[in-house]
Amino acid sequence: MKFLIAIGSKEYSGPTLKLGMKVARAFNADVTIAYVGEKISSFSTSEVLMAQENLANWDVNRPGVEVLEWAYDILKERQYIAVPEGEGSITENELVQTDNDRCELYLEGTQSDEVKLILRNGEIISQLRDEVNRSEIDVTIIGGSQKRRMAHDLIQYIDSSIFVVNEYNPDQDYRVLLAVNDATNTQKAVKFGVRVARAFNFGVDMLTISESTIFREDYKASSAWAAKMMRRSETEHTINFETGSFKDKIVSTASDNHIIVMGASNVNPIMKFFKGSKPLKVMKSCHCPILIVK
Amino acid sequence: MFGLSNTSISNALYWITRKKWLILAFGISIILFYVPSPEGLSSEGHRTIIIAVTALILIVGEVISLPAVGILIIVMEVLLGLDSPDGVASSFMNDAVFFIMGSLMLAVAFVKQGWDSRIALGIIRITGNRTRNIVFGFVTMSALLSSFIGEHTVAALMLPLAMTLIRNTSKDQKRVRELSALLLLSIAYGALIGSIGTPSGGGRNAILITYLQFFDVSISYVDWMKMVYPLVLIQIPILTILLLTSFKPEYKRLDSGVRKLVVQVAKSGRMTTQATLAIVIFLLVFAGWIFLSETFGLGTIALAGVFLYLVTGLVRWEDINRNTHWGVIILFGSTISLGSYIKSTGAALWLANHLVNIAGSVLETFPILTDALIVGLTATLANILSSSATVAVLSPITLNMTSDPLHAGIVTAIASSFGYFTAVAAPACTIVYSSGMVHAKDFLKAGWKVGLVSIVLLLIYVNTYWVIFK
Repeated sequence: MKFLIAIGSKEYSGPTLKLGMKVARAFNADVTIAYVGEKISSFSTSEVLMAQENLANWDVNRPGVEVLEWAYDILKERQYIAVPEGEGSITENELVQTDNDRCELYLEGTQSDEVKLILRNGEIISQLRDEVNRSEIDVTIIGGSQKRRMAHDLIQYIDSSIFVVNEYNPDQDYRVLLAVNDATNTQKAVKFGVRVARAFNFGVDMLTISESTIFREDYKASSAWAAKMMRRSETEHTINFETGSFKDKIVSTASDNHIIVMGASNVNPIMKFFKGSKPLKVMKSCHCPILIVK
Repeated sequence: MFGLSNTSISNALYWITRKKWLILAFGISIILFYVPSPEGLSSEGHRTIIIAVTALILIVGEVISLPAVGILIIVMEVLLGLDSPDGVASSFMNDAVFFIMGSLMLAVAFVKQGWDSRIALGIIRITGNRTRNIVFGFVTMSALLSSFIGEHTVAALMLPLAMTLIRNTSKDQKRVRELSALLLLSIAYGALIGSIGTPSGGGRNAILITYLQFFDVSISYVDWMKMVYPLVLIQIPILTILLLTSFKPEYKRLDSGVRKLVVQVAKSGRMTTQATLAIVIFLLVFAGWIFLSETFGLGTIALAGVFLYLVTGLVRWEDINRNTHWGVIILFGSTISLGSYIKSTGAALWLANHLVNIAGSVLETFPILTDALIVGLTATLANILSSSATVAVLSPITLNMTSDPLHAGIVTAIASSFGYFTAVAAPACTIVYSSGMVHAKDFLKAGWKVGLVSIVLLLIYVNTYWVIFK
């Protein structure tokens, strides 16, 4: 599998990077860590490039390099990458320019074949979408600080599962809240949920919600299949059925001590564009990390 | 839906949301095409305005690349019948385009010479290590240099000096937050105020000189300086004071930063023969602009300078090729072509008359308000577009707004440098913004003061000094 972790700054991206790497380790996934810098006005791209080349002559790094240095230091400290003893941090010279707005650096991973550091410039959704398509990413991990503005575009246009590390507290005891229904992606979500729970030794709360008072047979069948998966994998779990608003029930049950795992919506993209979807509504309202599996 | 997969629909939606400005531009142009030509506007003028509106939306939205906008303008000029293909082609290339091309190439040549270390040493020797003196030094040096070699060249040269000072003062970005904004904006704003000082200060000045020729008005390099340079000199101390009142750095003296900068500069060694030759070529170009530009044009002289830098091996073609923004050259070529049709089809006069009519008799009673209108329009557009694009699009109209095209033109050129509010307004602002050490809100924090004072100063200046000068 391939994971993409999008980081923004040293101040706010620590939890995203640390939790993202833990999850990636659970899946033995190759990891791409991307920093997306400000979009440069197209009137001045060459002039900015020239100024940045001149900065390099003065041993001053271009913006974003120090964020990648910080990420590198965390990877090194936590032994996610194999680094020869005594080797310092990365330098700007090691970054290979692959496009006008993209540089990369390959590192040898300890848990997987490779860890890549990427420096990009431009509009964040376009850049992440491009990176996901280019590197065939399975899961994109991103911080939750800008979730309201970006949530819609992330779910609508990024062609991978999305893990939003929202209000994550490393000292908190979490459980996985698995939303189980008849959506096509539910089975995949259950498998993801199980792996995350086992990797972190979390329990799982399965929740099936009917917006009417009757639970349809396909809901019950999905829940039974998920319970079987839990038993097979020897994951501690609870099975819950509730009626009411899907979003409200998930958000209130998850509170701030769950990691929500749910499948992406089956709804047609045009309907999703105008009316939104259940995962989008949950993502906008919840106060904990959420993984939406596509 | 219609046999399309969800992925295809999602991709289509993504394209539509990202290209909404393109759709809007074409939608508006189609609507305008079918609207009857207003009274007093020729059919050709009507079609020219359609192209201008389309181009303006696409440039502001940055939805397609700049050269694509330039190419679209040329194609639309031919398809909408403004001129024959040969006529459009000949309106595309002129001395202003040569100048923009030459000055972008010269910028690469200048930056490659390593003059930045000499400049650093020069500033520090004069200013010492007091922060406020260094800010004054940065503003002065940026303004004086950008008058002759262009604002983007100065920003590219000066940025490493400021960054080295900041990094060597403290590694803690929070502690040098105000200092960063102060030093970097002193470069960007200094370069902006200086760029109006001479015709070679920026592409927009050359564009304006070309447009003035459409009105049979010419101005020499020295006359331009006589008209504008005193304003540059007045603005330098005022800008310094405004910046120092906007940002309060924690460090009042930059002892550590200056010491390390001097050590770093000392490593660059003594002046080489090549560096001396580079200065001699620049002085030749400068002399050419002063004494020969009326005969040979600013652009040809700039290109002659590029030729000398290439032939003496001071810069490689590969470097020029990589660092020259060819897309901007295509865009400005096409906007100048469009500007010539805005003038020749009568669209400029029609738009100018409408603008003047809106204000009514007030403008006749208080002529200063015409200047204020030009300044307001230009400064607003310059903060949304870019200074050169603003002059290219707006000056055909503003030149028609008064009976004195030279007066209106130079006011437009000066006001186009008032791009203090946003990071996209001018290459100098974008370059310092790209350092990541200055934030968009810093441009607003200091920009509104600098902008307001500059507007008032300009209005007083043109209605006092120019009256005496004439």
